[in-house]
Amino acid sequence: MADKAVSEEASMEGHAPKLASIPASDNTVWADATPLLEAACQGLTDGELIHGDNFNLFAAMSALEIMDPKMDSGIVCRYYSIDEAIENGVAPIPISLDSTVDVQCTIDIMDHLLACEAAWHTGHSLAQTVFSCIYLLRLDRTASHALLHSYCRVTRATCKAVVSVVSDARTHEEEDLFTMTYGLPLNGDGDEKCLSMLNTVEETISRQLRVCKAASSKRSSVDLEPLQSNPNLEEGFCKALLCRLRFRKRPQGRGLELARKHIASCISELESILNSAEFLRSCSAESCEDDIEDKTTASGREPIGFDATLNSRLSAPTPPRAIKILSWKKAIQYFLKLLRHLDVICSYSLDPNLESLLHFVVQFQKSQPDLVSRAHLQLLLVQDGKLYGRDPIFTVITKASALPEAAKNHDIQKNEYIVQLGQLVMNLLKILCTNAAWQRRKLGKILQDWRVIYVQLELAFRNEFGEASSSSNDENIRMKIFQHILVWVEEQTYWIAFRFLMLGFELELYSASEYCMVYWYLYAVLIKLAEKTHLKIAVSHDTAKRKGKKRKDSPKELARESRIPPVVLFLQCYICLAEGLTMMLAALRNEIMVLQSPSPFNTEQEKFIQHFELLQRACIPDHVSYPSFKESTTHARFSTLAMYNYFKDAQRIAKEVKSSFSNDPDRLAELRRLEQVAEHNSVALNLICRLGALDPSLKVSFEFSHHPFFATAVVRRS
Amino acid sequence: MKASSKEEEEKVEFEEGEIEYVSYGGEHHLPLIMNLVDQELSEPYSIFTYRYFVYLWPQLSFLAFHKGKCVGTVVCKMGEHRNTYRGYIAMLVVIKPYRGRGIATELVTRSIKMMMESGCEEVTLEAEVTNKGALALYGRLGFIRAKRLFHYYLNGVDAFRLKLLFPRQEVHIEASHGNNDLDST
Ligand SMILES: CC(C)(COP(=O)(O)OP(=O)(O)OC[C@H]1O[C@@H](n2cnc3c(N)ncnc32)[C@H](O)[C@@H]1OP(=O)(O)O)[C@@H](O)C(=O)NCCC(=O)NCCS
Repeated sequence: MADKAVSEEASMEGHAPKLASIPASDNTVWADATPLLEAACQGLTDGELIHGDNFNLFAAMSALEIMDPKMDSGIVCRYYSIDEAIENGVAPIPISLDSTVDVQCTIDIMDHLLACEAAWHTGHSLAQTVFSCIYLLRLDRTASHALLHSYCRVTRATCKAVVSVVSDARTHEEEDLFTMTYGLPLNGDGDEKCLSMLNTVEETISRQLRVCKAASSKRSSVDLEPLQSNPNLEEGFCKALLCRLRFRKRPQGRGLELARKHIASCISELESILNSAEFLRSCSAESCEDDIEDKTTASGREPIGFDATLNSRLSAPTPPRAIKILSWKKAIQYFLKLLRHLDVICSYSLDPNLESLLHFVVQFQKSQPDLVSRAHLQLLLVQDGKLYGRDPIFTVITKASALPEAAKNHDIQKNEYIVQLGQLVMNLLKILCTNAAWQRRKLGKILQDWRVIYVQLELAFRNEFGEASSSSNDENIRMKIFQHILVWVEEQTYWIAFRFLMLGFELELYSASEYCMVYWYLYAVLIKLAEKTHLKIAVSHDTAKRKGKKRKDSPKELARESRIPPVVLFLQCYICLAEGLTMMLAALRNEIMVLQSPSPFNTEQEKFIQHFELLQRACIPDHVSYPSFKESTTHARFSTLAMYNYFKDAQRIAKEVKSSFSNDPDRLAELRRLEQVAEHNSVALNLICRLGALDPSLKVSFEFSHHPFFATAVVRRS
Repeated sequence: MKASSKEEEEKVEFEEGEIEYVSYGGEHHLPLIMNLVDQELSEPYSIFTYRYFVYLWPQLSFLAFHKGKCVGTVVCKMGEHRNTYRGYIAMLVVIKPYRGRGIATELVTRSIKMMMESGCEEVTLEAEVTNKGALALYGRLGFIRAKRLFHYYLNGVDAFRLKLLFPRQEVHIEASHGNNDLDST
């Protein structure tokens, strides 16, 4: 069927003149394949296929129907080649003989390039975005047009630098499309000079701006040719160009401080670019106000010199994708967001404490950074196998395990499991910088690794110290280090499990009928996390005390130890909420028969197995299973919940612990959110307890209006 | 599978009993399936893709007819995947005037039953995160959202990998057909 269509269309396309532009070479000639195809078609009946053994689904999916515009990326849209497009005047140089028009068009090209770059950053191929610019594809042609040339060159150099950052941070397929540069002229000679070129052009234009300002105040003019011929527009054009050029500049030097200054100036240039829109639109006669929001240039005009179809063949064998370039305004918003994210990264204190670092990364991810800023973060965190390229990983581990400073030089770091543990930590940091979807999958997988390393370390520890404790000083230190690290590894493992479950909410993987089991599992993981965190703190106090042997146990000291540490209380607040939600959801299911989802092919047990498979496989936590979930929830009733209200506990703890975090705004904000969830749920629970079972018109639903993963019950009468 | 969006069309009056469900019956059904899928799903499939499915697993593909007109179809496969024998729903479409009357549910249910009887341990598919209708439909059949696939459709939209796990019983594994490169991540 379609096979015939292929041969017909192929023969229709056989007109010679166009083909001339793809010349035969020494070893090839052009031949008409129509008779061959016809013969082949006659030999086959419908549905038959000649294929090799390796013709599988992937091959079938990648097969193309030639000349089907939905599939054939080789199909010629307008021009066979860049050269043909240029011969047809698609990308003239100068762009116009009228110098005013030429400047206008140059600005349009700059704007559209920016929009293309943003589209590339947000998930399209470089070939179909930035490199749809014919001037960029043939950069040497632009040499006579200093303004265009320097801008194109610096754009290309920027793309190259960004590709290199993202490929260095490469962890998964999200980056593949981004870094795909096959067949593109990304590596030009002389790009290292692009900044000095840009500076020269910028200097010229700022002199032109000064001259025209001076001229307008009737002072004598210097012998400098104006930018273009219309004196009324000179100032506006100079300004519009200057901010565009300055946005592309880069200062000499290194360091986060300088980077922040640079970021600040880029942001202010972007704002000037945004402000130039009014002037540019007023000079362009053809713009229509209503759809300006969708335009890819400030002026609202179509840019000259772009053709995305020229490169679409480079993306073969995948079908051609329709690319929607971001609008100019969206592109600027994108770059503003990128710059703010980069600023957050640069202002980070490079805290050697792993716990604060993890907290920072998790906070950063909440602002939903895009690939480019996440790649930068990852490169900052992990360099040359060291944290920030500065702290050896064993130092990071000893600090995280609350060991005394001296431990970091201990020989134990050569132990193979300790070395492996170091790699797990590095790997974890990289994973935490990836997008939430990928991150969750990877976190689920590495849980197993963390579990295994714990078991191996514990075994090594027992082999070494199994016999009665030795008295040698060094052995004591070794033992201490092992103990601390073991506790911390467990704590860290539960932290990963916690984050894994959390991300399920962010990614909307749970449906309302599954909330009950999810909160129950969350509760089980949180209990363990709190327990290990508490233990770690206790062990470290213990160690500290033994070190300072002389100091008497002051009453104050003792009081401090018996008190539950604020971080643990913080976790307890989570625990109460998770338990409260579990029980409320269970009671709703048991008593009002809502939020159940009977399905024809399986039961709740299969859903439990699927959702928690990775945790179960790594025994996180031990002895947790579907039967234990059932056991702890089947008896949930509102009558008992009314007497013991977990949300009240959560509220109380949140209030109490606030004062301990008075200089930690993130945690304070989180506590406030938890308090709100607790308060609302407490009220809802009371209401349901009083009316619920009796009142069939009561509708209960769950929303994430106060917290991203602790739901708030909403009670309505229908 | 990515659905393309079009405006809602006029509903058709019909009785549930008037809909006839048939298993894939040969080459004459192929243009009907292709026509429906081309209309409703935006990803282009070559004829090889369709034939790959319906030739290897004709028993898993179904069509729904109303008074001789094809109004819905489901296309599937099954095979070994990382030590499990799993079914995969590749395409599901019901034309607009016939939606909301349980036709898709019936089509998928037939395929899933066949998969279960053939010894599959689970069934998977991908659906766009914004495809509320499909997500609700599969949710009611017991599928969970196992993973989110970032920018799965290259137009920037994410997908969910949906999974249905059958309860464990003695599993009879038949010889597997074909390869399984499509549904691996
Ligand atoms: C998805 C699709 C196949 C559903 O076909 P359908 O015949 O209308 O589905 P059903 O009538 O069997 O629906 C069964 C259940 O699914 C849910 N559902 C279906 N469409 C829905 C919609 N638009 N919104 C909310 N829920 C919907 C409902 O829970 C419905 O049960 P109910 O009617 O008792 O409430 C159809 O809309 C379609 O062809 N869409 C375009 C292609 C597509 O998206 N395919 C799926 C790719 S994964």
